[in-house]
Amino acid sequence: MHRYRFLLLRPLQLIPVLFGISAISFVLVRAIPGDPARVLLGTRSTPEALARIHAEYGLDQPLPMQYLLFLKHLFDGELGRSIIYKTDTLTLLLERLEPTAMFILGSVLLSVLLALPLATWAARSRGGVADHVIRLLTTAGLGLPPFWLGIMLIILLSITWRLFPVSGYGDSLGEKLYHLFIPCLTAALSLSAVLTRSLRSALIREMRADYFVAALARGQSERYIFWRHVMPNAIVPIINLLAVNVSWLIGGSVVIESVFGIPGLGQLLIKAIFSRDYMVVQGVVLFFALSTVLVNLLADILTVFIDPRIKL
Amino acid sequence: MPTPFKRHLLNCCCLGLLLASSLVSAATLTIGRSADSTTFDPINTTQNADNWIFSNIFDPLIALDRSGTELVPGLAESWTISEDGKTYTLTMRDAKFSDGTPVTAEDAAFSLMRIRNDDKSLWADSYKIIESADAEDDHTLVITLSAPSVPFLSQLALPNASVIPKDYFQEVGEEAFSQAPVGSGAFMLEEWNRGESVILRKNPHYWDRDRIELDGVNWLTLPDSNTRMLKIQAGEIDAAINVPFSRISSLEADPNLTVHLDASTREDHLLINHSHPPLDDVKVRQALDYAIDKQSIIDTVTFGYGTVANAYIPMGALYHNADNLSRGYDPEKAKALLEEAGVDNLTLDYVVNAGDEVDEQIAVLLQQQLSAVGIRANLTKVDPSQSWGMLVDGDYDISVMYWTNDILDPDQKTTFVLGNDANMNYMTRYDNPEVTQLVADARLATDPDVREEMYTRLQEMAKQDVNWIDLYYSPYRNVSTKAVSNFYQNPMGRFFLEDVSLSE
Repeated sequence: MHRYRFLLLRPLQLIPVLFGISAISFVLVRAIPGDPARVLLGTRSTPEALARIHAEYGLDQPLPMQYLLFLKHLFDGELGRSIIYKTDTLTLLLERLEPTAMFILGSVLLSVLLALPLATWAARSRGGVADHVIRLLTTAGLGLPPFWLGIMLIILLSITWRLFPVSGYGDSLGEKLYHLFIPCLTAALSLSAVLTRSLRSALIREMRADYFVAALARGQSERYIFWRHVMPNAIVPIINLLAVNVSWLIGGSVVIESVFGIPGLGQLLIKAIFSRDYMVVQGVVLFFALSTVLVNLLADILTVFIDPRIKL
Repeated sequence: MPTPFKRHLLNCCCLGLLLASSLVSAATLTIGRSADSTTFDPINTTQNADNWIFSNIFDPLIALDRSGTELVPGLAESWTISEDGKTYTLTMRDAKFSDGTPVTAEDAAFSLMRIRNDDKSLWADSYKIIESADAEDDHTLVITLSAPSVPFLSQLALPNASVIPKDYFQEVGEEAFSQAPVGSGAFMLEEWNRGESVILRKNPHYWDRDRIELDGVNWLTLPDSNTRMLKIQAGEIDAAINVPFSRISSLEADPNLTVHLDASTREDHLLINHSHPPLDDVKVRQALDYAIDKQSIIDTVTFGYGTVANAYIPMGALYHNADNLSRGYDPEKAKALLEEAGVDNLTLDYVVNAGDEVDEQIAVLLQQQLSAVGIRANLTKVDPSQSWGMLVDGDYDISVMYWTNDILDPDQKTTFVLGNDANMNYMTRYDNPEVTQLVADARLATDPDVREEMYTRLQEMAKQDVNWIDLYYSPYRNVSTKAVSNFYQNPMGRFFLEDVSLSE
């Protein structure tokens, strides 16, 4: 029971982290030169019109005051109003949440589905042809930039073979999965390369351990030892690696969503940054930070669950 | 005698057939564009992406014809202008909003006073000239101006000044209206999936509904231009907006596609900050004009799809002066002029919009061309949202920008570029009182011939003074599949989707 005591402490640690992130995102987005009111007004920005918009969104207040207002809104469960979309940031965020969540979930699932059998196969035929081919492929997977890979996959799978749509999202669950396949594959090819290589070496390390030889000597089948002992031991570091890479995926969604026209948080963020839509940038960054922390918490829970010896 | 189950089955089949046939006949045009809408409140935006939808779902009082060169009746069937040019009496046609309620003069008066007075209006300055707008009866609207203004009729054709239903607006409020508008245009908004799509359906109450062939239009947001082009090549969308210059020829070679190069009013120009010496010397500015090889920019950047610009009023726009002075590429003359002005070792701060492929290419070319006459250009690459602020603050020497006309009358652009109003002549700080006076006079001249003469003179004077350097005009670049007929964008940027049809 005490193994899960960290679950009580973690939420407390969240508070300083989120405070820090909110302050950093607040300062950074204002540190880059530019003015959302000027973006909104375009060529029509006269000094009076600028002043009116600054007043409407509280941008005429001194910075510390603006930050306090932002925190006050946060405690009320609000993220402020988007200047460009002229609506509540939270509404925008919730609307865009699903595509990004689906994309990340799909990519993780697909990369695990690729990495598990490949790593197992490579580890069990260590030094053989399969092992060499898999190691070559994963090196290639690490080397290819996801942006380029995505375009190549579109040209092959969508234009030449017409198997999948070029971009977009869709309405029903089936349509969504259909649209998300190429973007998820793009991310999964990079991600599974990392996972395969790490899992392969972890498996090999475990298979060299004394307990493996001892169990073999006791007459247990290699297959049984592999799945009962080797895999659970090898998978623990991989879970944490995966958690770190989910953070990478959250960042990567910014690029991949714009290539594949997925209407998610990444696209919202990039548009908000370019138009200096302060509230939206703060909201999305805060949300990304919160997700990263939660994913890592989830990884910790899984680790403790799989390996009872670990205490956090 | 069919059993109840069989009858049920039969009903299902019939229903299925019915559904299938309705699916086949539903002609929905899907268009890919780079930016999503930001609002459906017409007064609260200056973005082109918003105006495209406004001209689908709203109607202005006065409309622009297909060619973009003539004003034609919109919701106002006819109009008269009083002798003193200050009172406009408009007669409204029998039209209905998409919710079935009639469009009245009261709605029109409300909409005009709203764009003039509302805190949210980004266009208030252009309508301050309205003193009052009143509904005499349901069909008669009387607008009184504080002073006569020839461009006023053109101003009424701006999509942002479209007529919205007063009662509905006041009932639901500003916020709700901006998300779920009601208008009297050819189409109505069915759904807005922010960041993804704007779904329009044919408006069954539209006053000219027999003209509409499409059942609906889906505007998809596809920010990446590579993806947008791949998507139309794969046949997933029917049309795509803004083809990169570099892709025009390869798409033209595709047997399933038609590339539309429709005349636009876009002009790309080089801004010069007149308040930074020696750029206040007209000889130095003329030297810059001679030093720049416009044709080579067109060949490299637009792949030959542009035309050398000779005047600030673009080709095809009202009162464009085709015979305006044009300084050809002459580096020797540029050097001579610089020497005459006593300038050597000139270094200029050049603000470039980072991430804009065209802007960055022009910057590299200009840097080379200027260095050939001994001028050094220091490139400062900044975000578009930042560059505008630098221009406003005068924190630049030269920078490439562009302009597209929103209204037919040249007064809007002329005032902005030469009228010396709040925007310091498009941030150039150019100041010639004679020109400023002529801009004001041209606004009041009622005789079209006299006006044309005045605008011809303005184009000459601007060129003489080198208010800025005209670089090139370029067309709108859109692509559609062969199944789409009549896809067209007029010079003012309006898509005429009411004339589009789709074949199988």
